[in-house]
Amino acid sequence: MTIERIDPELCNGCGICVNSCATDVIRIDEKTNKAVIRYPDDCNCCDYCELDCPVNAIYVSPERHSPLMVGWR
Amino acid sequence: MSKETFVETDVLVLGGGIAGCTTAIKAREQGLDVTLVDKAYVGKSGTTAAAGMRFSVFNPDFGDDYDETFKMITEGSGYLNDRVWTEICIKESWAAYETLASWGVEFPVENEAEGVFVPKHKVDSPFASARIKRRGVPPPLRRQAEKVGVKIMDRVTVTDLLMQDGRVVGAVGFPLTDVESIVYKAKATVICTGSWSLRPVGAETHNMTGDGQAMAYRVGAELTGGDMHSSHHGSADYPSWRGGRAARAIYRRFVDAEGRVIPYGYEVGPAVDLAFHEGRGPIYHDLDAATDEEIERVWQRQQNSDGMESARIGFDPRKRGKYRISGGQDCAVGAGLWPADTNCATTVPGLFAAGDALSIRSAAFGGLPSGTIMGTRAAMGAAEYVSRVGRLVVDEAEIARVKKIMLEPIERRSGFSPNWVTQLLVNTMVPYYVLLIQHGDRLQAALTMVEFFRDHFVPKLYATDPHELRLAHETKNMVLGAELALRACLFRTETRGAHFREDYPETKNPEWLAWIKIKQENGKMKLWKHPIPKEWWPPEFQT
Repeated sequence: MTIERIDPELCNGCGICVNSCATDVIRIDEKTNKAVIRYPDDCNCCDYCELDCPVNAIYVSPERHSPLMVGWR
Repeated sequence: MSKETFVETDVLVLGGGIAGCTTAIKAREQGLDVTLVDKAYVGKSGTTAAAGMRFSVFNPDFGDDYDETFKMITEGSGYLNDRVWTEICIKESWAAYETLASWGVEFPVENEAEGVFVPKHKVDSPFASARIKRRGVPPPLRRQAEKVGVKIMDRVTVTDLLMQDGRVVGAVGFPLTDVESIVYKAKATVICTGSWSLRPVGAETHNMTGDGQAMAYRVGAELTGGDMHSSHHGSADYPSWRGGRAARAIYRRFVDAEGRVIPYGYEVGPAVDLAFHEGRGPIYHDLDAATDEEIERVWQRQQNSDGMESARIGFDPRKRGKYRISGGQDCAVGAGLWPADTNCATTVPGLFAAGDALSIRSAAFGGLPSGTIMGTRAAMGAAEYVSRVGRLVVDEAEIARVKKIMLEPIERRSGFSPNWVTQLLVNTMVPYYVLLIQHGDRLQAALTMVEFFRDHFVPKLYATDPHELRLAHETKNMVLGAELALRACLFRTETRGAHFREDYPETKNPEWLAWIKIKQENGKMKLWKHPIPKEWWPPEFQT
């Protein structure tokens, strides 16, 4: 995987991670005002969100596997 | 998408990396109204953010030898460098360094005795380089752009250029989060959208979608390149881990499965990929033979680029060891726009380009200095153009045409998902045996597939929201870039520099002392040979 979690307990909703992500994986949830992983398939494992998070709420795994190309979907 | 916003500006800069920021700041300093648009966030996005090695500078006061530097670049490019641009890049690199330093870019000191610059003998080159910090370059550029009054628009995807009477008069895009279209009317437009290359999953940077080049292609601009490809090797276990790159760049010792050393360097072509191709894998990066000093340098550099990641995967160069690497197409030299002059004009009036999006044909020694240099020049070119262009007129019909193309995928209710098509494309293009170790049969096979993607999938890409709408346009542009690279590689029937053909192993001089140019003509991709000036041929062919 790539970005694995954003801890809702730690997230303060500052939104810095949203701008850190060039591939638009993270959004601020309109109901909770916390950052959420909205488009996980597009994570490029760059770690910028984790590096920039002021409250250390994000974990990006260094593992990354190519999804299997098994058929149309 | 009913909402529509109009933005009118003198200079529209697309892409907020080092070239885009430099263009925007320098154009603004000349009193122009400048709008800088990035599909992500200026100051954090782009290849410039990922850059974490060095900024090359040529300075005669350091004892740097101009002729030696020129020769290294010329020979390294297989005599295909544009020598006018090579001279520009060498001579203006020091000014580029000073410009960035004046804007607050930090050049860290790792070794007190050395100071800011890595001595040339340590980087095995005829010039020195300043160290840079990964992600350290873009933030000061954003601050400087804001300070001088550049209008920055983040998270806006521009999809196509607006044309009026044969010249570019702006572009159309949409924001990532809203149902809205944004129409930019601009006297001059500068494309700074970076490179155009596909990357294996987990590569250090994402696919380079080549949006700017693709937009320019669609309005008839001439491009060049697509025939040279180089592999950036990664860790087999942790493909996205950048620390391996710093280690491999500083200490270049690779061994095959039996421990035989593989010669490495720009002058030996795709040696590591060839060793793998010959069945000598797995291939390892071998730190066991490094001296204590080399290990120390790897360690220091790592702290500046990726301390956290390396710690997380347990990599410590001081323990030495052999690390299995992976390779694949991860090309650094995608096709770029053909410069019509030395102030970064393209062949279409009103359209300029800088950075990796403009091809100066291996003329430079590093993306950051050349991006700064080209940005500075593009600002001059755009300012001159703006001063003589008349009142801005854009036909409603033209805006409607481009908006329709932009919105088609989100109005489509069924079809093919962009992520799925991109995955097919990457799986087709990335294996090393397509663009790195090439053969006409394999290039043709890949091209057959890519043409099928182009004709069958691309016209029916669908998007369910603006995020996916951006992906749909990126997928379309990547399919175009793949077609262009494959055709360029098929066209160059020889082996030279970073172009390696198993079926044409010889370098053909002077027949192929030529650039490949590409443009759209009657809906088809046309390629032709553009000979380099005879006075630039290698000495042995001069008569």
